[in-house]
Amino acid sequence: MAEQHEHSITYKTYLLTWFWLLVLTGLALGLGYAPINERLKALLLVCTTLAKILVIAAIFMHLRYERINLILITFAPLILAVILFSFTFPETLGNATHLIRVR
Amino acid sequence: MESSLAEQQRILASDWGGGKSPFGTSWSKFMMWIFIISDALTFAAFLIGYGFMRSISPEWPKQTEVFNMVLITFMTFILISSSAVMAMAVGAARARNPKLAFQFLVLTIVGGLIFLGCQAFEWTHLIEEGARLTHNPWGVPQFAAAFFVITGFHGFHVFSGVTILAVVAIRAAMGKYSGDQVENAGLYWHFVDVVWVFVFAFFYLL
Repeated sequence: MAEQHEHSITYKTYLLTWFWLLVLTGLALGLGYAPINERLKALLLVCTTLAKILVIAAIFMHLRYERINLILITFAPLILAVILFSFTFPETLGNATHLIRVR
Repeated sequence: MESSLAEQQRILASDWGGGKSPFGTSWSKFMMWIFIISDALTFAAFLIGYGFMRSISPEWPKQTEVFNMVLITFMTFILISSSAVMAMAVGAARARNPKLAFQFLVLTIVGGLIFLGCQAFEWTHLIEEGARLTHNPWGVPQFAAAFFVITGFHGFHVFSGVTILAVVAIRAAMGKYSGDQVENAGLYWHFVDVVWVFVFAFFYLL
């Protein structure tokens, strides 16, 4: 029989989390329209997105109440995605426009 | 020999000795997490592929001029709100209040259906403007291809989520109520929300 975690999050916490997620969405939307450097915009959007997924995972998905080994394996896709990105993205740094055809 | 026996007993008494879950979850919840992790990799591959195509494209259409950003923001609001309501459904299920859990589940389903309706509207509008998998009026063909594949795959997940939630809600209404089912369906629904957070940031805003 698996050990069950008995914990309760109040509805108030869920509503507060919802509110902060909407604030972060508004922030991301503002960044989308902000006349700033594209690289800085990308960095700030990545930070906002990571903040949002951490909040959703921790509160809505109750990950903060899970054991550390379960929490760690949920990071596997993120780490593997970074590796995949690191291997593919350098290909785009040279003159790679021959790979794509404009209509 | 004695220390070996003691070591064996220590392992058997530990989480990895069998008979209990090393992850402290039920098997169904753990399997849902494994599924979410593998599905997250699929979406990661899509988004990295999109990033690759975009980086090597000589031009990329300005999303704010192609998409109706008010609609996209509304869709994001709906999905985040339905995720919050789903979390409350899980809370009600854990508190052994099936009636309240059922009501929250129905609200979550309504949110999912509104999202799907908005997506159908957006797709129809873009198709009428000439967007296809192979070409589009705004520039590189990869733009519309990435749009249809990524949002289509996500939309299919939303549709699957609505179906799963409907089954769970009907079972709850019939008295075949299980807190585990609600929690696992909730995990899937939050995952769909997480994916949309990425799509919203990297496809629509960046």
